[in-house]
Amino acid sequence: MIETIWIGHLLRETASSPYRNLVTRPTGAAVRNRIEDALSRSDCLTALLDFSDIELLDFSCAEEIVAKLLLAQASHRPRFVLLRGLRDDQHDAIEQVLTHHRLAVAALVSDAEPVLLGWVSPDARAAFACVCRLGRACAGDLAEALDWPEPRASEALEALTRHRLVRPDGDLRYTLLVA
Amino acid sequence: MTRVIEVPAHFDDHSFDQFAAGFGAWPPEEKLLVDARAAQWASPYGLIGMLTAGQAIAEAKGERPLFTVPNSDDVKRYWARVGFFRHAAELFELHGRVPKAAATGPSDVLLDVTPVRAMEDVHQVVEKISETASRILHGELGLERNATMRFSMALSESCQNIVEHAGTSGWVAVQVYSFRRRLGRRVAVIAVSDAGIGFRRSLESTHAKRFGERWGDGAALEAALIQGVSRFRDPGRGQGLAGIKGFLDRWKGKISIRSGTARLSIVPAWDDDLPLADHLPFFPGAQVQITIPAQEAESR
Repeated sequence: MIETIWIGHLLRETASSPYRNLVTRPTGAAVRNRIEDALSRSDCLTALLDFSDIELLDFSCAEEIVAKLLLAQASHRPRFVLLRGLRDDQHDAIEQVLTHHRLAVAALVSDAEPVLLGWVSPDARAAFACVCRLGRACAGDLAEALDWPEPRASEALEALTRHRLVRPDGDLRYTLLVA
Repeated sequence: MTRVIEVPAHFDDHSFDQFAAGFGAWPPEEKLLVDARAAQWASPYGLIGMLTAGQAIAEAKGERPLFTVPNSDDVKRYWARVGFFRHAAELFELHGRVPKAAATGPSDVLLDVTPVRAMEDVHQVVEKISETASRILHGELGLERNATMRFSMALSESCQNIVEHAGTSGWVAVQVYSFRRRLGRRVAVIAVSDAGIGFRRSLESTHAKRFGERWGDGAALEAALIQGVSRFRDPGRGQGLAGIKGFLDRWKGKISIRSGTARLSIVPAWDDDLPLADHLPFFPGAQVQITIPAQEAESR
């Protein structure tokens, strides 16, 4: 199950103002607390954070919201996280803060395959694109599609699983959009 | 006795050291007169530098300094229009007739001289800049269409540094002007200044040890701007300046930070500034200038 969280709504509730700009660390931290609160009341496997109502996302808020949310997922009840509705400049901010922490997240781009923001190995990046094309894949599928030895494919899938960029089910790895 | 500090006729980041040298030891013990009568032009950096000096003296419980306004009516009108005198009147005893700030049509001022005291001010600054920036940054300077957002991100991070690190309030101003001598093109300039503790004191408890005898204003600036460190133990800190550097690399822009007795710059090919200038006259707090040049036709 996927829970969609509208960041613009949370921002307006948090700041009690008409701002559409996610700037400053305290604002980012307050929005992240709202997200964590919403997720704590949800049974969803995947959280889809929708930024389409947001004008500006600065580095501090990218860090406070996306990076710290992903870091918290590693220690709390883990969920998969997807982003949607980001513009290029918002990609820049998230890419930078996640790369700094060696984290990664998938972002949905309209009419295109998801893109990876942040840091993963080149093999994991290629594997992610391949799993998105196939919808689901095991190491054998990936090895065949990318013309790789199976151990290499298996390692790349493991990396994606560790980053919570694919959903494991036995030997198969699914894209996060499969509910 | 009154110490007279002359405001350079052409007051920008380059002539700032001459202004700073006028104060002698900080906090100055004598009564001060800041003499701007001969001023012909001041960049946003110069304007908020003067306010920073006034603020630092007030916070050191010094006697309220005198300030003689420029002789030039054009200069006075401009300083009034960007809000300089409104704030200066709270920090200095102004001498000379000050014109009322008159609203005019579209101008090259992207953001008037604005105090930054709290995070709420950062929100206001970002809201305000986004109303006007797109026309100038994309239309006049030839930056990519969504450069306004990246520009606002740089502005937001610069202002947040005041609130988080300075230990006091500060100032910001943004303007577009012609950079004839050094570049021959127009530039957008973000100037941010505070009268706070400066980079050295902000980072001292967490980073001085590893620098050993090298520790000082220059080393502190190097740690913050080049190595991306912060006084906070949170490993996600220090990314604002890193992000700004990324944008400036794309736009062939320049960032220069002065704190205490040092100034560190990331110098693009069009400028011949020193990357590190040390042993400068002391000035309180930190002063940041971000310069973004109009893009050359082939890169548009």
